[in-house]
Amino acid sequence: MPKITFVQPDGTESALDVDAGTTVMMAALAASVEGILAECGGNAMCATCHVVVVDPTRPGLPPVSDDEDEMLDCTASPRKEGSRLSCQLPVTEELDGLVVRLPEEQM
Amino acid sequence: MAQVIDDFAQTIQLDQLWSDPYPIYRRLRATQPVAWVPAANRYLVTRHADIAYLEKHPDIFSAAESPSLMTRVMGHTMLRKDGAEHLRERKAAEPAVRPRIVKQRWTPVFQRIADELIDGFLERGEADLFTDYAAPLAARSLAAVLGLAEVAGADLEEWSQAMMDGNGNYGDDPAVWQRADAAARGVENAVDAAIERLTAHPDDSVISAMLHAEDPLSHQSIRDNLKMFIGGGLNEPRDATLVGTYALLTHPEQRAAVDADPGRFKDVFEETVRWVAPIGMYPRQTTVETELGGVILPAGARLGIVLASANRDESVFTDPDAFDINRTNRVHLAFGGGPHYCLGTWIGRAQVGAVSMPTLLRRLPNLRLDETVPVRWGGWVFRGLLNLPVRWDA
Repeated sequence: MPKITFVQPDGTESALDVDAGTTVMMAALAASVEGILAECGGNAMCATCHVVVVDPTRPGLPPVSDDEDEMLDCTASPRKEGSRLSCQLPVTEELDGLVVRLPEEQM
Repeated sequence: MAQVIDDFAQTIQLDQLWSDPYPIYRRLRATQPVAWVPAANRYLVTRHADIAYLEKHPDIFSAAESPSLMTRVMGHTMLRKDGAEHLRERKAAEPAVRPRIVKQRWTPVFQRIADELIDGFLERGEADLFTDYAAPLAARSLAAVLGLAEVAGADLEEWSQAMMDGNGNYGDDPAVWQRADAAARGVENAVDAAIERLTAHPDDSVISAMLHAEDPLSHQSIRDNLKMFIGGGLNEPRDATLVGTYALLTHPEQRAAVDADPGRFKDVFEETVRWVAPIGMYPRQTTVETELGGVILPAGARLGIVLASANRDESVFTDPDAFDINRTNRVHLAFGGGPHYCLGTWIGRAQVGAVSMPTLLRRLPNLRLDETVPVRWGGWVFRGLLNLPVRWDA
C-alpha cells in the first residue's frame, strides 16, 4: 500500500497508507487532512486542493496537463516549483513515499 | 403536565425568509440544523459542516430532484443530473469559462460593456445602479459568453426573470407558466440562430464549445442548458456587483483600503459572496435513508441546502454578520461544491471582482449612497439588493 505524507505549514506531518486507484486529494479528504478543500470534487476547476510536491522529479508523477497548469496559476498561495492539484495525482504503487506540503491558503 | 415542544421550524413563513432570512438561519443552526420546514416543503440544512459533507457525497444527495419545477420550465438541464450524464454536459461547456479564456477573451468584453454603460450616465450625477448598471452589465456579459451577442440585454433580462419565476411557481399560477413558456421559446429561437451561425464558424462561446466538443451535445440539450444558464447566470453577478458596491459605500475604512490597493477587489468579491450569497439555497434529494447533522432522513427526502446560512456559520467565521474584507478564514460555500461547483465561478470573479466594482469606484468621483431613497433587500433562494440609488460629482 503506497504511503503518502502530508506536511502542514507548521511542520505537522500525517503519513497515510493509501489504496492505489484513488487520488492524493481523495485520500486526504477520506483521512480529513487539514488544508485540502477540494471544492469542485476533482474536476480541476477550483484550485483548492493545491499541494507542493517536495521532490517533483521523482518517478510516478504524471505530467501537468493544460487544464491543471491553468488552474495552478489561480491558487490562493503562490504557485511554486512542485505545485500540483492533488486531484490530478492518481495514487499508484510507484508513488509510494510521496511527500507533499500544504500551502498556507487554499482560498 | 403539558409538554412544550419547541419546533421553531414549523413556524417559519416564506415571507419572513424573503425579508430577512439571517436571524432565522442563526436560530436553526443553533437548535435545528437539519429541520423540516413545512412552508418550504423541505428540510433546510443550515450548518457549514453538514453542507460541506453532503457536497462531497453526491451519490447520496442527488441533484436530480423529482418532480422539479425547473425541469418543467427548462427541460433536462445539467443542473438536475448526476454522475456521468451531468459530467458529459458540463465538460462540453467548460472550455468557454475556464480562467485563462476568461482573462484573455471575456474580461476585455466585460470592461467594454461596463465603460459603455457608465459613459451613458456619467454626466447625470445620479443613478439606480440596479437598472442602470448591474443588471444590463450582467445581461450583456452573459450574452457574449454564451454566444448570443446579437440578443438584446433587455430580452435576456426578461427571459431570465420569467423562467426564474416559473422555477419558483409553487402556487401553480397559470400567468406565470405562460410568461415562463414564452421566455423558454424565446431562448430556443435565439439558440437555434446561434447554432446555425456557430456550426460553420466556431468561436470561444459556450454554445460553440458545446457544439464542437469532443463529445458534442445534441441541439435540444444545448437549448435546455442555455435556458438554465440564462435563468441562473444573470442575477448572481448582478447581485454581487450591487451588494459589494453597497458594502464598500457603507464601510468607508474598507473602501479606503481598496482605493489604496485595487488588488484588494479580489478580497471584496470573496467577502461579498460570503456575506450575502447570491444563491442562498439550492435543492437536493436523498437517494437512500441517511443521517445528516444527527437527523435520520428517509430516502427521497427533499432538502434545501442553505449556502447563505453556511456562509454565516459562527463556528467557522468570526463575527459572521459583519462585512470584513480582512478575514483570514475565507472558506465560504457561495459557489457550492462537488460536481456541480459553480461553472461560472471564474466568470463571476472577473466580471465583478476585476471589472464591475473597480470600474464604478474608479470612474464615478465621490460615489455615495443617495440618502433620500432607502435601499431595499429581498429574497432567500436568491438574495440581493432590489435597488441601489447613488450620487456622484458629475
